Amino acid sequence: MTTDDQTRPGVLEVRDVGKSYGAVRALSDVSLTFAPGLTAIVGDNGAGKTTLMKIVAGVHAPTSGQLFLDGEMVSFSSPLSARKAGIEALYQDLALADTLSIAENIFLGRETTSRMFGLRLLDRRRMERAAQEVIGSVGIRMPSARTVVRDLSGGQRQAVALARAIYFNASVLLLDEPTAALGPKETAAFMALIEGIVGRGKTVVMVAHNLTMALGMSKSVAVMRAGRVITQMDSASTTPEELNAFIVGAKDAPSHA
Amino acid sequence: MTSDLHDAVRPAGDEADDGKASRGRAVLGFLRGPGYVASNIRLLMVLIAVSVGFSIARPAFYTSASITNIFVSAVLVLLLALGETYVLISGGIDLSVAGMLALSGMASGYVMNLMYSGSGSAWGVTVIGVLCALAVGLAGGALNGWIISRLRLNSLIVTLGAMGVFTGAASLISNGNPITNFPASTFTLGDGSWGPVPIMVVIAAVAVVIYAFVTRRTRFGLHVYAAGANREALRRAGVSVPLVTIGVFCMSGLAAGLAGFLDTAHFLTASPTAGSNDLLLAVAAVVIGGTPLEGGEGSIVGTVIGALIISVLQNGFVILDVQSYWQLVAVGVVTVAAVYFGERDRISRLFKEK
Repeated sequence: MTTDDQTRPGVLEVRDVGKSYGAVRALSDVSLTFAPGLTAIVGDNGAGKTTLMKIVAGVHAPTSGQLFLDGEMVSFSSPLSARKAGIEALYQDLALADTLSIAENIFLGRETTSRMFGLRLLDRRRMERAAQEVIGSVGIRMPSARTVVRDLSGGQRQAVALARAIYFNASVLLLDEPTAALGPKETAAFMALIEGIVGRGKTVVMVAHNLTMALGMSKSVAVMRAGRVITQMDSASTTPEELNAFIVGAKDAPSHA
Repeated sequence: MTSDLHDAVRPAGDEADDGKASRGRAVLGFLRGPGYVASNIRLLMVLIAVSVGFSIARPAFYTSASITNIFVSAVLVLLLALGETYVLISGGIDLSVAGMLALSGMASGYVMNLMYSGSGSAWGVTVIGVLCALAVGLAGGALNGWIISRLRLNSLIVTLGAMGVFTGAASLISNGNPITNFPASTFTLGDGSWGPVPIMVVIAAVAVVIYAFVTRRTRFGLHVYAAGANREALRRAGVSVPLVTIGVFCMSGLAAGLAGFLDTAHFLTASPTAGSNDLLLAVAAVVIGGTPLEGGEGSIVGTVIGALIISVLQNGFVILDVQSYWQLVAVGVVTVAAVYFGERDRISRLFKEK
């Protein structure tokens, strides 16, 4: 693991970002700053939340605008280059390989190897030990790091995807509706894990549907509508009712931008 | 809170597991487990049962000559099946392996025949013949993989086309005629023995060890499984899926190339119609060996046992004086049965889980 936690606070700034698919404008002039702590992004379907997440995660390239990480301009050509900069994403569909073990999933693409006869060979034992540790550190009881992911429950699978995102010490964690597929009990457990990660000083950006939950957990909340950021405010200074008014367009942005 | 959290992430089936089911699992659990070890042990028992059956029916089956024959006849199919295992695990299929066997066998036969002066053991010529067959196999596999990943085409249709190209090219090399007259060293590789062990079997064993090792111990091997399980996950993990695809078809082409050389060496004839039934037998060996057509799982060890089961069936039928056409019928039936049982396992596992 890297130990440059202190030197990289993980402040992510999105500046004037736009994205068009042909004639369709998915994002227009989006400017947001994500500081350490949890920022919630709320908005109706099609507001551009997921598109924004995918741009920050390096899945899509923006049509215009820039990204800054800790004041430095960055641009990502692929999910891998975003990861290398310390930005990890947890996708709605989790992107787990069902027939691989927990350890293999966590390390996929970044396998630990050891040299033998001049060849780089998988060091399964080390990966399994490290996987066991990171799973333990997020407070989840799992059968064994060798267990095939297919045999896990929904909450356990989510935890594996989360463990994969935090193991490599990302400074920014992106969550796109992470609890959409979970029951109430699993959701509570998962959100407890996220609070633990926020407590370690990470920057967490979460696209959320449940406004009460989003406000309860976040430090700051941004509202998007029709590809634009309507407002970004302190979570403590607003209510679910006010947020909803912004989301449906009953209330417009305070004219500061 | 912590205990809550543990409850929340417990596997759903935990509570229901007490009682009858767990007792049964304790006794024969290792046979029913999800891992490939358990399914390979089951397969091995099938192999032993079939062998014992034939031995009882005809004691002649259980002679060293007959057992050697089983291994030798398994070699060519096994080599094709080794590469096919990679392709199936990665979620594709390679229909061109038998065509590649014919093409590489002809190409190496042509080159060796051209270089051979007509006397002596001429090991140099044989070595060049081996390299030629491997190079043709590698090139054909790389081409398959490149077309499939670059043009994003289905592997079934691309390799179906490649099967035609390779088979046709094999005949074009000498206008459809077989090629003969090779150095003695070629025949040594194809039909010689070290003590009781045929050299061809030793070569196949080395290939098995290498192919099994790559699946279990290298990053590439892991990526082959991941490609079959969830291509998108592999892509998001930052791995080049096209390179994995090309690698998989190169492994398939290489093994088919080696099979082509050994076919030429064993029969001392390079024939453009070599391996005409071997596509069915190779895919059958992989499927009987427990690799599902969906990919993501499977093992080289399973494929080896699958190839041996096919070989035992074929040799058993010969010894029982069954008309040889029945062999193909039997292999076809066994293959479909293997798919059925594999599918049933998977469905029951799905129900157990939810």
